[in-house]
Amino acid sequence: MLTALRISAAVLLALSVAFGLSTTVALAQKKAAPPVEEPASQEQVQSDISTRDIAIQSNFTGIEILIFGSVDFSDSRTPGEGRYDVITVVRGPNEPIVLRKKERVAGIWINGPGKSYSTVPGFYAVLSTRPVRAIASDQTLKELGIGLADFNFGRATVGSPQEQAYRSAMIRLKKQKKLFQERDDAVKFIGRSLFRGTVALPVNVPIGRYSVDVYLFRDGALASKSQGSLEVNKAGLEEIVYKLAFRRPFLYGLLGVLIAVLAGLAGWYAFRRD
Amino acid sequence: MFQIYLPIAEISVNLLVMLGLGAAVGFLSGMFGVGGGFMLTPLLMLSGIPPAIAVATGANQIVGTSVSGTLAQWRRGNVDLRMGFVLIVGGVVGAVTGVFLLKILREVGQAGLMISLTYVAFLGVIGAMMLWESVNAMRRARAGKTVSSRRPGQHNWIHGLPFKIRFPRSRLYISAIPPLVIGGLVGLLASFLGVGGGFIMVPALIYLLRMPTNIVIGTSIFQIIFITAIVTLLHATLNFTLDIVLAVLLVIGGVIGGQFGVRAGQKLRGEQLRALLAAMVLLVALRILFDLVLKPSELFTIVPLAGV
Repeated sequence: MLTALRISAAVLLALSVAFGLSTTVALAQKKAAPPVEEPASQEQVQSDISTRDIAIQSNFTGIEILIFGSVDFSDSRTPGEGRYDVITVVRGPNEPIVLRKKERVAGIWINGPGKSYSTVPGFYAVLSTRPVRAIASDQTLKELGIGLADFNFGRATVGSPQEQAYRSAMIRLKKQKKLFQERDDAVKFIGRSLFRGTVALPVNVPIGRYSVDVYLFRDGALASKSQGSLEVNKAGLEEIVYKLAFRRPFLYGLLGVLIAVLAGLAGWYAFRRD
Repeated sequence: MFQIYLPIAEISVNLLVMLGLGAAVGFLSGMFGVGGGFMLTPLLMLSGIPPAIAVATGANQIVGTSVSGTLAQWRRGNVDLRMGFVLIVGGVVGAVTGVFLLKILREVGQAGLMISLTYVAFLGVIGAMMLWESVNAMRRARAGKTVSSRRPGQHNWIHGLPFKIRFPRSRLYISAIPPLVIGGLVGLLASFLGVGGGFIMVPALIYLLRMPTNIVIGTSIFQIIFITAIVTLLHATLNFTLDIVLAVLLVIGGVIGGQFGVRAGQKLRGEQLRALLAAMVLLVALRILFDLVLKPSELFTIVPLAGV
């Protein structure tokens, strides 16, 4: 058995040299072919992010990052065969929030009592090759925490229509600000195993550590997962100002007043009449 | 190209727009002799700055414009220091109260509503009164009658109050209580609305205390420096809502605009100026009122829980 394999490999090697590149596909195919009883998916997904450290400086207007990767031991024969699907989840740090709804009281619109949510990610993006529900079952997606449909925001909302209305309003508002994104055409395969996806972080992204999870699906089942992370921080002058404002607020306030007084003096001096 | 990221407001704004906004408000404030905060804060909110940051940063900008305004008034001998300090004492108490009040209101989600209602009430009443008064003055001037600027010093209930202090520059001998109360009320408004409060202070000192108008304007702008400086400090330390980058842009624009505003103001007549200012005050009040009464296009708002 072993010698037979070795011989067939040698023959294939000779063939591949003779026929050049076109046969490498066949070779890979043959390699994966031995009918050993392996689990259905032995593919491995590898991924990385174009920018792991995002610095918010004074010229920051948002940033587009690239998440790319490859499927090792891919057994798809042609590009775009559709055997594999990739879902990427970019998730920022949690920020507890209150959602308020305006109500009409005595002719004017005022905020009603709010509903608070304890585990709302400051940023959450799901990027995929196809609509996620076409890739895997709802149960699988829920277990993996993919997608906003079953997301746990730290508040029981099942069953109550009012809670559901608030919940969907919160998701809608977050989507308007581009802080929640669900894009089912954002990941594309290039060739048999290489894929890439882009995500635009808006100008108001919260700072902190973001997790970037890449899931590889094959025929509706999770085949492999790869985890990464990226860091969003203020840098340069923005960092100095931000830290001063929150760590030495009194000094920061004094500085603000001082700048204003000096500007006022300078303005008066420059424009004085005599 | 001219986009600049604001570290505290966490949004990107156009550098030239913010400089221009500061200059426009500075121009108007120089022209009318008011701080201009009542226009700046709503305008900042309209350009997407969160209300709390607009209030704190607006106050910081007024510090700058009122410093140059005070220096110009000081040289004309229009600042009553003693009256100024009495107003400041009241103002500090009012400002501290206002900042805490705003903090509590923000926690229950009614800060925006209360700010808007206070704006509508004060701007509406004062705008209407000023418009009425200035239109009457213009009508009288056209009829050929002379306009008396100061009525003779009648004695009213204010003169019966205790703790009398002599204010030589204002030629007054009155109780310290009314200036303390006026100072306190203006301080409360200043911290609450992010304004200097000149639009309340000036009529109150003229009509209630019967101070000479020129001294009123100098003294009002002098005490505004201190009140807005304290308000800025309080907001920065308690609410972390001061954006210094935005403040620098607004102050630069404001100081330059203010100087041109003073020159433009000298070409217009008093009652015309007051009518124009009144019309603008009323417009701002109406604008805010419409926002309260008309059904908002978005009923829901997201607020971060517990600030920091």
